[in-house]
Amino acid sequence: MSVTRSGDRPARRPRVSRGRLCAALGVLALSAAGIGRGTPYTPADDAQVLAELPAGARHASAPNRDLTRTRLDIALPLAQFDISRARATGDLRFLGYGEAILLPWLNRTAGSAQVLVLHATILQSRHQFDAALGELDQALKLRPDDPQAWLTRATVLRVIGRYPEALESCGHLAAAADPAIVVLCTQSVQSLTGHLKSAYAAVAALPQQSLPPEARAWRYSELGEMAERLGDDPAAEHWLREGLQVAPDDFYLRGACADLLLRHARAAETLELLRGYESMEPMLLRITIAHLQLHDGAGARSRALLENAFALEQQRGEAVHRREQARFFLDVDLQPAAALAAAREDWQVQREPDDALILLRAARAASQPQLAAPALEFLHQHRLEDARAVAAGSPP
Amino acid sequence: MRRLIACALLSLSAAAAQAHIASNGFLSARVEGTHVSGSIEMAVRDAELAIGVDANHDGRITWGELRASEPQLIRYLEQHMQLSAQGQRCALALQSLKINDRVDGSYAWLSLDARCPVAVRQLGIRYTVLAEVDPSHRGLLSLTAGAAAQTGVLGGADAQPAFTVYAPSKGRAFVEYLRAGLWHIWDGIDHLLFLVSLLLPAVLLRRNGHWEPVPRARPAFMSILKVVTAFTLAHSITLSLAALDVVRLPSRLTESVIAASIVIAALNNIFPLVTESRARIAFAFGLLHGFGFASVLADMGLPQDARLVSLVAFNLGIETGQLAVVLAVMPLVYAMRSSLMYRRALLPWGSAANASLALMWLVQRAFLPGG
Repeated sequence: MSVTRSGDRPARRPRVSRGRLCAALGVLALSAAGIGRGTPYTPADDAQVLAELPAGARHASAPNRDLTRTRLDIALPLAQFDISRARATGDLRFLGYGEAILLPWLNRTAGSAQVLVLHATILQSRHQFDAALGELDQALKLRPDDPQAWLTRATVLRVIGRYPEALESCGHLAAAADPAIVVLCTQSVQSLTGHLKSAYAAVAALPQQSLPPEARAWRYSELGEMAERLGDDPAAEHWLREGLQVAPDDFYLRGACADLLLRHARAAETLELLRGYESMEPMLLRITIAHLQLHDGAGARSRALLENAFALEQQRGEAVHRREQARFFLDVDLQPAAALAAAREDWQVQREPDDALILLRAARAASQPQLAAPALEFLHQHRLEDARAVAAGSPP
Repeated sequence: MRRLIACALLSLSAAAAQAHIASNGFLSARVEGTHVSGSIEMAVRDAELAIGVDANHDGRITWGELRASEPQLIRYLEQHMQLSAQGQRCALALQSLKINDRVDGSYAWLSLDARCPVAVRQLGIRYTVLAEVDPSHRGLLSLTAGAAAQTGVLGGADAQPAFTVYAPSKGRAFVEYLRAGLWHIWDGIDHLLFLVSLLLPAVLLRRNGHWEPVPRARPAFMSILKVVTAFTLAHSITLSLAALDVVRLPSRLTESVIAASIVIAALNNIFPLVTESRARIAFAFGLLHGFGFASVLADMGLPQDARLVSLVAFNLGIETGQLAVVLAVMPLVYAMRSSLMYRRALLPWGSAANASLALMWLVQRAFLPGG
């Protein structure tokens, strides 16, 4: 069983942006245009290397592609491989490769629960949460006990803030999944609904050996997040770094750790932590912020790369990294109004503590704290405790 | 050797600093009349996925390998991208492979040149590049026409989006469509032949099986006026209905009936059946001629913001051209009306020539493939 977490966030549902945000993005697109396109040239040397191909990005011959259309036992592991490559590298193209394998199977009359669950995972990674839920429900009609479907469903529901339903999904896991996974699933939601301390204790008490390997990083990231929300940053850093020992490629853990360091203005350590992860947009954002904190003027290139990536997303009609974009406007561009507009759009789609946090911060920076009311209301309604949110202006 | 190593290190560090973004192709196009020029770019990495470029399978794509694959790449892109103007396919040619370095890696760059059968007003772009291997791939379009620029997204659910590239001001549209209407009456010689066939006997009277010249100008003038007005009224109605997409007839049918209308009008001059109410013939067939005018307008397309103005201007142009012909021909015909040559030779043999020419068109349009 593969564990999906809220942090797997390469993309989200295409949305039409408007008003202020639109204007800000327009400016952004203009400034990015300059670096986006170069002048075509003819290389002088035949040996010049133009591209290094990552594993799994090779041309597949037509007969090989036909195989994935006729043999489900070949299609499923290949799609699974592509999805895991996307996770490990942050390379969004792999989501497309996986989808290409799954689409012919999705369109068949006799549905396959496994195909639906894998495709829902891709949709979730693109933050198309409603569509993902629809396919998961279809999968559960075909296989009512499918643990992967219930776990993915719980994750999606948690990301969009539908906690009671997320808990219910975790409950359905009990029939077929490892008990430790059920505890992780349940406690991660409990920690957001008024039971933070007890959930923290319960997850900390889970012996690491009881967990399947892929769930170990998940446990650490939950512990790290919970400690942060409790206000115990040293403990949080400990958990996150432990997690990175177990799963160095887990970019959710790495991002969370970078955020923690940046909150304490430990920019040099952040850069150290993120060295070699520049190709991932969310990491690039944190690198840029770290350079700004250091006033070393070295963030210009990463900033330009980010601007270009945001502009391309905008032209594609996708607001893939809206949360990152809000942070970019707030912490890099120092445009609180644009940040607030992006954060409000983000809040329409996803409701993780980080989404509430960016909305609170942006609203305060833009001197319009009343516009963060939906987030405050949400935190209050679910008794969601978060020390960072209190620091950003939420009443304790 | 040292230089080579330095080069490799540099390219490695550049690769490491590239942000992973979803797969995009870049299409840049400029429209000028029937001609579309620009460039298409595909990430070198995506080219491998599409056609297989890495000949030595070492996981690196060199300029040499890409260059060797140029013909396949061009063939692939030409098969997966089609340009059309108002639905009519343009002939696409891609060539001169180059490299363009963008922030997320190197792109194969090809110059693009397309010739369309009609002036481009609505540029349709069917784009299925990589659709089979990466459905999240999109083509990002930047399109310019004159001073106007726009962007668009290609591929995905809407496999064939169309972009309006021509949006003139109302005044400009008026002038342009007026001129188009004026010219069309000359290009569309069949409309003129029909009208002239109906008008030739307007200077004569049919009495006891013989043609006689009209004694005064007034009845001739009234007869001409009636025919021209009936024809104008009729084709204006159907031209408007068709141009505004209210009614649509297959062009083979309208073109055939237009040819038939000339045959009938011309034969009627040789073996007169209808002598008093030629205006009715003018009206009845005028309805069909209107659809013929409309097909010309459809090729041009009506500018989105000036549909009505352009339609009226086009129609006015047709009427003006038609009136010019009537004013040039009819006084001559009137002057010749008393001569035997006119009644015995010009009218019957001229009409016979008209009829046979139109009969040929009729056969061509109605029965030959592709008419």
